[in-house]
Amino acid sequence: MADTSALELDRLRRAFGGVVAVDDVSIDVKRGEFVTLLGPSGSGKTSTLRLIGGFEKPDAGAIRINGGRVDHLPAYQRDTATIFQTGALFPHKTVAENVAYGLRMRGVARADIAPRVRQALDIVRLAGFEERYPAQMSGGQKQRVALARSMVVRPAILLFDEPLSALDLSLRLQLRAEIKRLHDEIGFSAIYVTHDQGEAMAMSSRVAVMRSGRIEQIDRPEKVFGEPASEFVYTFIGESCCLKTQMASGAAADADGATIDLRLANGLADGDWRLYVRPSRLQIDRADLDNRLKARLDFTEFLGDVHRYHFKAGRIELFVDHQGAIAHRPGDLVDIGWRSADMVAYR
Amino acid sequence: MSGASETAALDSPAPRRTFWSAALMPWLLMSPALLIAIAFFGLPILFMGRMSFNAHIDQRFYVPDFTWDNYAAMLTDPTFRNAIWTTARLALISSIATVIIGYAFAMLVWLKPKRWRLAFVALALCPLLISEISIIFGWWMFFPKNGLLSYALVSSGLITDKISLMYTEFAAFVGLTYVTLPFCFFILLSIFDGIDKKVLEASADLGAAPLRTFHEVLLPLTKGGIAAAFAQSFIWAVGTYATPSALGPDTLWTIGYLIQEQMLGKHNWPRAAAFSIVLTVGVAIVMMIIRMLSSKRTALNG
Repeated sequence: MADTSALELDRLRRAFGGVVAVDDVSIDVKRGEFVTLLGPSGSGKTSTLRLIGGFEKPDAGAIRINGGRVDHLPAYQRDTATIFQTGALFPHKTVAENVAYGLRMRGVARADIAPRVRQALDIVRLAGFEERYPAQMSGGQKQRVALARSMVVRPAILLFDEPLSALDLSLRLQLRAEIKRLHDEIGFSAIYVTHDQGEAMAMSSRVAVMRSGRIEQIDRPEKVFGEPASEFVYTFIGESCCLKTQMASGAAADADGATIDLRLANGLADGDWRLYVRPSRLQIDRADLDNRLKARLDFTEFLGDVHRYHFKAGRIELFVDHQGAIAHRPGDLVDIGWRSADMVAYR
Repeated sequence: MSGASETAALDSPAPRRTFWSAALMPWLLMSPALLIAIAFFGLPILFMGRMSFNAHIDQRFYVPDFTWDNYAAMLTDPTFRNAIWTTARLALISSIATVIIGYAFAMLVWLKPKRWRLAFVALALCPLLISEISIIFGWWMFFPKNGLLSYALVSSGLITDKISLMYTEFAAFVGLTYVTLPFCFFILLSIFDGIDKKVLEASADLGAAPLRTFHEVLLPLTKGGIAAAFAQSFIWAVGTYATPSALGPDTLWTIGYLIQEQMLGKHNWPRAAAFSIVLTVGVAIVMMIIRMLSSKRTALNG
């Protein structure tokens, strides 16, 4: 049903010079859905957001907001509101004036503006800061003002352009939880652009993983993490160990052709393979598991919750996250095992 | 040596010493700049002020004296009153034109992608590399009946008969504007460069049409720059003597022209000095008014 969609992108395309920044992107954001565009820099996620906001024009494709075509409209006639990476607050206006700006531009009656501004500042926990200027506030507070300024106009869709990337870690986590809470309470529709997979996983209803202008996979966070559609998605989301292996009539060798002691439950066809396992799913001293590799302990890192043990088998390097100490010392040959379900193989 | 005796020795004189160094330190730190300002700006004005009270007898440049005659003469002299009006009018109009053109140009350079910037800045620098006299010669090729402007207008069919704009107040106005434009441009560009361009997108995003964005966001953020650019152009236009007298009509008597006439023509140094003092004080008053108007903006606006 079209009328449940807040935003529809239909085969959107945009090239800058010869570079295709957004390539055939289609997304359907339902009302109240929080969709994240996740990808490395240059993957087209910010370009996609700018097309939706109206700051760039698409070369082809359609954008529909609440069912109506908007791709011919300028930014100021679209029912979107963006939270910019730098906040982009008006430095000459107070916090209250900043938040009231969108309401004034939309012709909201003067008497209704003040209570709505107060309510919006309450929601982002900035009541009492009305008369301050942006220069008098911290980075986190400024982003909360930006959030209030965008939310107060109740747009059809909120556009987040990496709003947390300029903040330090603890503030980022705090504000991330706050945006999540607001989404749960208010239920706005949003597109959220980030290169931080942790943010994407934590906040989203759905994650769209982008690579060179295309969507590689769009699904719920658990699905994207658990059932990645491609090697790129697998390696981009979460940590992984890569075992580059040459298979020849059941025997395994590393990239140089040196034989390695690798046993797999399901045999692979002959040829070059890249096997991936998450470091948290690898287990030490488990010769009983279906898949296993004998590797030499190289060195150990202490990461707080876990120790990270780095192993080598020929040219293959892998690391295992393991709680507590193990009985081995650097140079020892160790059995590393994993379940078939935890492994993916690409060739 | 024990630590205790050292502390005791330091303790008692300390308050006086910090008081004196706290009071003196700012002056000491400012002294190099202060000395240069006094030597090169303060003293000449002081000498000029003293000169304006001297007498002018026979054909001697000046005779040491203390008389208000030179200032009294100005009050009764219609030529001087006209010159004040002419100078102020010309400076005002050309400064307004300069600020408008400079503002538009600076905004264009600011909004355009970075790769155009160097070309625009180089273009704006060009007039500064040419001496004022050469520029005047350039205008002499441009404004007369057989000049470039007349030729262009006739051949484009806009007018049928050749015209001369040479020696008109318009030519003087154009000449002045041209001279002050580069400075104005660079002042405004530096102000624009201090603005996060994203605020324009934020404004549009929140529903403001371009004109509304200009009025609500860009204009308030550049107010200070406009005042500074206007002040700069005004000072320059008031003080410039060669361009208006070379391009304007013979009757265009600016204060600069009168000073030159008194100094070089009539060899009346005290009178020339008195004119200069009045001009300097007048400009200072205008500057103070501009500062008062432009400092009305909020104290903390980053």
